[in-house]
Amino acid sequence: MTATIEPTVHEDQVVDHPAAADEPVGHRGRGVVGHVVLAVLSLACLFPIYWLYATSLRAPEDVYSLSVLPWPLSLDNYADAFAKTDMVRMLVNTTVVAVLTALGQLLTGLLAAYAFAAWRFRFQKLLYLMFVGTWLVPFQVTMLPNYVLLSQLSLLNTLAGVIVPTLCSALGVLLLRQHLMGFPKELLEAARMDGRSSWGILWTVVVPTLRPVLAALGILLVITAWNEYFWPAMVLQRSNGMVQLGLRSFMGTEGNDWGPLMAAAGLTCLPIFLLYLVLQRHIVNAFVRSGLK
Amino acid sequence: MRRKLSLACAGAALALSTALSACGLGGADPATTAAPVSQIPELKADQQVSIVFESYNFGQAGAWTDTFNELITKFTAAHPNIKVTPQKPQGNSANPATDTVSSLQSQLATGNPPDVAQLGFSELDFTVNQLKAAPLDDLVGKDAVQKNFDGAKYPYAKTARGLGDWSGKTYGVPFVFSTPVLYYNAALFTAASLDPAKPPTTWAEVEQAASAIKAKTGKEGAYVDCLTKSAKDWCFQSIVRSNGGRVISEDRKTLSFADAPVVEAVTTMQGMVRSGAMPNRTQQQGTEGFARGDLGMIVESSALQGTFGKGLKENLRAAALPAFAGKPVVPTNSGASLFVFAKDQAKQRAGWELIKFLTSEEAYTVISTKIGYLPLRTELVNDPAGLKPWADKNPLIKPNLEQLARMEPWVSFPGDSYVQVRDGMMSAVENAVFQGADPKTTLQAKQDEVAKLIPGGGK
Repeated sequence: MTATIEPTVHEDQVVDHPAAADEPVGHRGRGVVGHVVLAVLSLACLFPIYWLYATSLRAPEDVYSLSVLPWPLSLDNYADAFAKTDMVRMLVNTTVVAVLTALGQLLTGLLAAYAFAAWRFRFQKLLYLMFVGTWLVPFQVTMLPNYVLLSQLSLLNTLAGVIVPTLCSALGVLLLRQHLMGFPKELLEAARMDGRSSWGILWTVVVPTLRPVLAALGILLVITAWNEYFWPAMVLQRSNGMVQLGLRSFMGTEGNDWGPLMAAAGLTCLPIFLLYLVLQRHIVNAFVRSGLK
Repeated sequence: MRRKLSLACAGAALALSTALSACGLGGADPATTAAPVSQIPELKADQQVSIVFESYNFGQAGAWTDTFNELITKFTAAHPNIKVTPQKPQGNSANPATDTVSSLQSQLATGNPPDVAQLGFSELDFTVNQLKAAPLDDLVGKDAVQKNFDGAKYPYAKTARGLGDWSGKTYGVPFVFSTPVLYYNAALFTAASLDPAKPPTTWAEVEQAASAIKAKTGKEGAYVDCLTKSAKDWCFQSIVRSNGGRVISEDRKTLSFADAPVVEAVTTMQGMVRSGAMPNRTQQQGTEGFARGDLGMIVESSALQGTFGKGLKENLRAAALPAFAGKPVVPTNSGASLFVFAKDQAKQRAGWELIKFLTSEEAYTVISTKIGYLPLRTELVNDPAGLKPWADKNPLIKPNLEQLARMEPWVSFPGDSYVQVRDGMMSAVENAVFQGADPKTTLQAKQDEVAKLIPGGGK
């Protein structure tokens, strides 16, 4: 983060304070190097995304072309992707799964964090450590028991089967508990003295105060659920019900169908890009608050 | 992305195998321990049965899913009392065909395996001995199985009939496969002053032609997609067999991939890389480079013919697998068979009816024309009412059909650790061919290392 701020400060100094032109050459040199490094890194990040859309817009016979500019432009790959898969249904299903998963994780996280922060009870620390511990267990370890349970509940090959086992997120619990630990206890006491129930305090005092945190965490959880591939691939065997699986259906033994694959991948990225554009500040905030970069 | 997927898949496979071994899945040789299976009765006309059919073809959008859905529709029209639910293997590999065994394992753990499944020949030992596929000879009788191979009009190719057999019984009906084919780019041949009508027939000629292409066109020469771990070992076995070697002894008890003929074959391939005739590429770089027109020749399965055709169009040509000078070519097969995993007798019978339909003349006509797979009832290509019009329009299928007549089976490694043995061998081959390691010492060291994974010690 520091690296992104420093060059801006230098630029401002040059514009607002002409005296800064006299600053040591070493400082300016470092600024230039910083900009060059950032420019190269930006290009390295952006180029694969550019290549994705460039390939999707090539004519089908040019899909293996290595020319940087796709020309002539063609929408045939998009038409092919729509013809071979039910893109609209997959996008709707994925949105439903991502939103419900995020809402479920927010709710369970909020209730658990409220309990851990607002009360003192026996084995509190042990229980909290167990929550933390679940974060350290790879999903592959719990995959099979979850799968067997879903089979017994007849939830295989349903969207509910994708959502239910992921309704509780250790990340949500940890993050919200940290925020609630800093919540003024006096406020909770005052609400209790006013005769509010614990449930009432949660929804009328705690949640309104935590709204920015909940919004930031919610966005993070939606993006994580949107990008999830492993679990839907396990549960949904009888259809390509979600875009992640639809994308894979363009790859296989007989070679990869790059044109429609890139077109479908481009369409799949769009909702998240839009989310970024509209809620850029909240999303950066969410990543900073969660400690993820 | 692929690497991440592969890692995740490996993790999943490890977790699955650990959990399943704890559950006691698998066991001893069915030939010695399995209870005799009585023949299953025919279905009554009004007996409603529902079965699940798992095939990696449902994991690939387009012609593959559409064709198989069409076949299922035709089957249910002919058998209105049987409902078939199609599904792809579960898992997260980029290629659903690599998820077949782990998918079956996790479903077996729930007690609900698919009733019919399409599995690769490399997994035959594991499929029979660990996954416990039902012996078709016991279910419906040897005569019925052989009658299906004989067909209503055209029989299976002789070399294909026994590919799904184990200990004298038929467990799987071979369904789709290819032999290794030398595809080449006619335009690059012409540009390099080579005659596209006379493709190379020996590895020495391949090296010469590849060098000429590289020198005169600036494009790469030849890539043999049989020499990396990701290629598995189906066509490596073909190269080895064509030089008089074997990767495992005929009784499948002793590893022999460090023997002189194998070392010599690997040294020949390494020589092509050293001379610059073969580029040092990954499997994907090789296949996509050829489809893009940046590579003169590639040894590949016909499964990729459609992909190559999209890029090269009329410049795509096919020839037989090259020979080692003075030695006969021994093609081996890739591909998969159909197995029954149902435990219920009605479902077993319905599964057998489905297998019969999917391997019928009618089904092969649909599969070959719409997907391009090799028809295992080879005489169909001479039938004007069958596949003759299609075969006439697709001369690229000829080398594959000719090789099918003298093909030998892709041999699976024995034991629960067959994947580690196969991957270990192919890693050593890759290391020697593309990284320049000494073939003799590399193969010997790997053979000594993985021999302990073979039941009985592998020596």
